Amino acid sequence: MTDNALLLGALATPLIGAILALVSARSNQTQRAIGVATGGIAWLFAAGLLAQVHELGVQTYALGGWQPPYGIVLVADALGALFAFMVTTIMIAGLLYTYHCHDKCMTYPAFVPLFLLMEVGLVGAMLTGDLFTLFISMELMVLASVSLTAISDDQFGLEAALKYILISSMGTLFLLLGIAAMYATLGTLNMAQIAQTLLTGERPFLAPAAALMLLCAFLLKSAVFPFHFWQPDFHTTAPTPISAMLSSIVVKVGVYGIFRLVTLLFIEEAFLLERLLGVLGVIGIVFGSLGALRTYNAKRMLAYSTFAQIGFILVGIGWGNTLALVGAIVYAFNHAFIKSALLMLMGVVASYTKIKTADFAQVRGLGTKLPPLLGWLVLLGGLSLAGVPPLNGFISKLALIQGGVDNGDWANLIIVVAAGILTLMYMIRAWQQIFQQAPLPSTTETKPVGDSMVAPFLLITICLLLGTVFAEPLVQLVSETVRQMMNPQIYIAGVGLG
Amino acid sequence: MVEFMFALAIGILFGIGVFQLLRRDLIKAAIGFAILFSAINLFFVAAGAFEGEFPPYLSNVQAGRPTSDPLVQALILTAIVVSFGSFSLVLGIVNIISKRYDTVDSNDVTQLKH
Repeated sequence: MTDNALLLGALATPLIGAILALVSARSNQTQRAIGVATGGIAWLFAAGLLAQVHELGVQTYALGGWQPPYGIVLVADALGALFAFMVTTIMIAGLLYTYHCHDKCMTYPAFVPLFLLMEVGLVGAMLTGDLFTLFISMELMVLASVSLTAISDDQFGLEAALKYILISSMGTLFLLLGIAAMYATLGTLNMAQIAQTLLTGERPFLAPAAALMLLCAFLLKSAVFPFHFWQPDFHTTAPTPISAMLSSIVVKVGVYGIFRLVTLLFIEEAFLLERLLGVLGVIGIVFGSLGALRTYNAKRMLAYSTFAQIGFILVGIGWGNTLALVGAIVYAFNHAFIKSALLMLMGVVASYTKIKTADFAQVRGLGTKLPPLLGWLVLLGGLSLAGVPPLNGFISKLALIQGGVDNGDWANLIIVVAAGILTLMYMIRAWQQIFQQAPLPSTTETKPVGDSMVAPFLLITICLLLGTVFAEPLVQLVSETVRQMMNPQIYIAGVGLG
Repeated sequence: MVEFMFALAIGILFGIGVFQLLRRDLIKAAIGFAILFSAINLFFVAAGAFEGEFPPYLSNVQAGRPTSDPLVQALILTAIVVSFGSFSLVLGIVNIISKRYDTVDSNDVTQLKH
């Protein structure tokens, strides 16, 4: 087993960047430049890792030279590498948005370091092969995102941050409790070794309880039905680039954990977990879409929409067959790009208002005074979210629906298709309110300069490319990923066990 | 007997922690969070504490004496640091809230409900 330094690079680059940004706290512009540069380097590492994983198989890095299962090992299998690639790509867009943003909170010396620490947590959670390191990474991510929301320009950010940290800490505690239960019964924290032991059919007393505790923690992180109530507040009040990250990639950490639970750790219990996830997913789709239809704030609408879109992914996991899993991963991948782009676009719109807000009452008709490109980008993003070809949202819906047809679960399939129409309704409603209606007297006063729309423009371009030129390679990449996920022996052997 | 007392202590701490976390007073809720974390740390210690009665020195291992598991202690040291960090962040947020809203009663910190 050889160490692959790319793994360490992807994890350590943002960490070093955070320290550098903290040291250069005197100059805010330097900090932002360091942020973008670090994001770019981390992306290079993650892209190289993705290429190597598909060429050479599972890559590992034993931290400190302690070999698994004794030491902490970083593992990049196809799923982890794909998600790490997604995270670093979206992160570049977020850091680019920060570079040109006029919010007051971006000038605080802790902003860029915390942003980069959030990336460390995200990448760490996706590349670790050790449950305890997963806990540490998720806690790092939570603490960074809470601090970033608490310093938001939005006056309600503080309250949302308190709400989230109390709820999320409860979830983290359950994660730790589940990990402790696993350690008490199996005597190891290495995910490959846990999978190996549980595959032999051995079922220690606490293992099913641990599975449920881990599931609850992951569901809470992705804001799925019984644990969703913090999400709209938290995602609405965060600063624009942060809410774009929260709604697109931070919720995917929970999804990633659920993938690991049902395809690696608890394969025998997977059937029961999948039934539960399917039900929760459908509830999320229906209530998220209906909630998005009746909101009064464009950012809040997108937060509710995330609640619905995570539901689609969970329904895909719930169907559980190969095609549905391909659909779920493609969906998770595409949703990250669409949702971050849309939230940034709404942030750009909001940045033109006198007091920064995305309330429909304040931004109605504002779009008629803004560059027309902005309106077209919002429309493209909305159509993509609803799954209209040729955008990438169509590819993900198609892949998911194929999985459902293959499974023969017609009742849920109808809900999934119908909810696509609801998505179209709320996105078109938002677009019409902002860009088509006549401006209200109250919205006549606008700021002359708003945030730059370079980052969302790039993201929407990627969405278009993913829906057309790269659609075939993406689906092939994900099919290969699912083929590896379906055989946990590949992961176990890749870590050097079994 | 020690095991039983240990289990009882973990259970009681967990109960107190959850109760405090659900209080209306935000400072009490923050302290409940810290108590809850201690309960889980104790649970982690219990996973490795009763295996053997000797400290895991090399001399004890070579002499074949049953030693306790050192890994859980390393793990909870990390977990204590994490809990300390999140606890101080919660207290910091509660501190700013108490200044901005002039109260720490969670029933009055409801500006998001609009």
